[in-house]
Amino acid sequence: MHKDYQLVKDGALCQDEWHYSDDETALSDAPTIISLTRLKAEAEVLRARNAKLGVRLLADGNGKTKLGEDVAELAPYLDMLSLVSIDFPTYRNGRGFSAARILREQFNFDGELRASGDVLHDQWAMMRRCGITAFELAPTVSLEVFTKAMDELSEAYQPASDDQRGALWKRHA
Amino acid sequence: MYRYDEFDHQLVGERVTQFRGQVERRVSGELSEDAFKPLRLMNGVYLQLHAYMLRVAIPYGTLSSKQLRMQAHIARKYDRGYGHFTTRQNIQFNWPALDKIPDLLEELATVEMHAIQTSGNCIRNVTADQYAGAIDNEVEDPRIISEIIRQWSTFHPEFTYLPRKFKIAVTGHDNDRAAIKLHDIGIVIKQNELGDIGYEIHVGGGQGRTPFIAKKMADFVPKAQLLAYLEAVMRVYNRLGRRDNSYKARIKIMVHETGEEEMRRLIEAEFAKIDASQMLSVPQAEVDRISAYFANPAFAALPATSAAMETAQKQDADFARWVRANIVPHKQDGYAIVNISLKPIGGVPGDATDVQMEAVADLAERYSFDEIRVTHEQNLVLPHVRLDDLKTVYDELQAHELATANLGLISDTIACPGLDYCNLANARSIPLAQEISERFADLDRQYDIGELKIKISGCINACGHHHVGHIGILGVDKKGTEFYQISLGGSADENASIGTITGRAFTEETIVDAIETVVTTYKDMRQDGERFIDTYRRVGLDPFKERLYA
Repeated sequence: MHKDYQLVKDGALCQDEWHYSDDETALSDAPTIISLTRLKAEAEVLRARNAKLGVRLLADGNGKTKLGEDVAELAPYLDMLSLVSIDFPTYRNGRGFSAARILREQFNFDGELRASGDVLHDQWAMMRRCGITAFELAPTVSLEVFTKAMDELSEAYQPASDDQRGALWKRHA
Repeated sequence: MYRYDEFDHQLVGERVTQFRGQVERRVSGELSEDAFKPLRLMNGVYLQLHAYMLRVAIPYGTLSSKQLRMQAHIARKYDRGYGHFTTRQNIQFNWPALDKIPDLLEELATVEMHAIQTSGNCIRNVTADQYAGAIDNEVEDPRIISEIIRQWSTFHPEFTYLPRKFKIAVTGHDNDRAAIKLHDIGIVIKQNELGDIGYEIHVGGGQGRTPFIAKKMADFVPKAQLLAYLEAVMRVYNRLGRRDNSYKARIKIMVHETGEEEMRRLIEAEFAKIDASQMLSVPQAEVDRISAYFANPAFAALPATSAAMETAQKQDADFARWVRANIVPHKQDGYAIVNISLKPIGGVPGDATDVQMEAVADLAERYSFDEIRVTHEQNLVLPHVRLDDLKTVYDELQAHELATANLGLISDTIACPGLDYCNLANARSIPLAQEISERFADLDRQYDIGELKIKISGCINACGHHHVGHIGILGVDKKGTEFYQISLGGSADENASIGTITGRAFTEETIVDAIETVVTTYKDMRQDGERFIDTYRRVGLDPFKERLYA
């Protein structure tokens, strides 16, 4: 499922060693991204599995308000996870920006954080500031366009998950 | 006034270059209107009924003469010779050509202004009390913390694609002129018993189709922790605010559905985590640097009264009326706060021509330490004018039709652009504001009626603040015909309240008579010294209803 993208990781195009699995297929030893539902249901078994595990955090959920999955639910499983794929169902839904920062700054997650879904040109740099290191880009986007977009703003006003301190602090560094 | 340093110049400049690229991609067809939309919105560009509209931010409502002259220049060069001051301390240009907007923004950047985050689901232009630094008994000039908030919120990587737009307002005074309780976050600067300065925080106010008065979430957030607290509110909202329905997506709905207590608990839990890192505590040296820009201008030591002014008041009755209505006492002896009404009888509320803007800029330069303020009630202010100069200033304003003496009176209406410009509107607002002001044109009659705030919205989105008008008017559409609903008893000040609808709506032909009935009812019932709102709060809706639907 879901492989119509090219992966840019740490600023370079690369082969994606990961694949997404559904909730039924038995897991191989290859690095696999599963759903949060499956992670919660099979945590015990998965903890014993000796291969890289990733989870996808869905932003479009069920229930009355369709709020989506909450990053806090990942807390008990962080030691098992090498990757979190944050879903951006439409460019308008910026909920994943907070999930990324919470993972980096509060959960001290140091694995791969990737953005999947409908991501705008002008959101890539903001995502990087929130701690996202890998991007599933549409096949039509060139690396050149991506790299240029990353550098459109050279300074930041505020701290986030990256090492830019923000103008309010930097002026007196 | 705050001045850009190299960081500010660089960032605003880079943003213009970035937007130029986006416009080129749109014009060439590489970007569809759909893909371009979020990009243009982040830069203040709306697609309106007839054309693109550009909204320029006037952070915390402060302008220099040079900046106001630039607005005049833009109005002339890129628009049809006028600009429209909005209820959120912005100025809008209704007719710029899309491919010229990058040039316009480049010119704007030369006077340290921008249109960043004046639309879109992000943290919007921070607004503040228009009398900041001029009014007596202010705890602290609200522009200092507003500028810090402006910087913190600009291009915020986490909070630029929120569930919905987000508005913050600040006041440093007990009399709220910034409508802080009708904002997503309202901040009141306070001093505690120890003499420390901090912030009372209100969350979840707003108008639109579901109006709410904000709930007080914190009594006193210490100065150094404000940004951490704001970031906590924003993160709770971004994480848990609804995105399934744009009418339920504002934080006011979240506060309402979550409950005040639980909301407070969520915010405080997040605040504790964010604050622990100390990352958002602004260095004192930076606070001092920004504060210095808002220090008092070099006021002269003057007597508290002016013989020249008193003589002029005796000789010129019109001047005397203007002083009575539009002048507010200044904290410094010998100075006054001058309100410039943008509500001439029969005019368009909030509009100013290029020539008028230049005239005000000249007056500010000569008589008000180069400063102009913009108010959420769509007027302008010269914050620091000597009493001795008032007559000269008045005469010049008069020559430019800017001396209408109606501040806070029935003809000082707030009105949204309405069906004449806006693609959301159901009804026209401007022509109704004009009709009302013509009906009550006689100034002596207006003074007799006293303080009365009429606010008109052309649709349920409430851009004309009808919910908080002493008399609110809402335009509705019934089978293609415009009707107007009246509500009474709203207020946007420190005693904020939402108005109550009187009953069935009035037609275009009967609405002005209905307003007159409301006014007459008030006059018949008022007791000594009561303003409209006082009488309404004493007697309630019923007497008005009886007369309106008799």
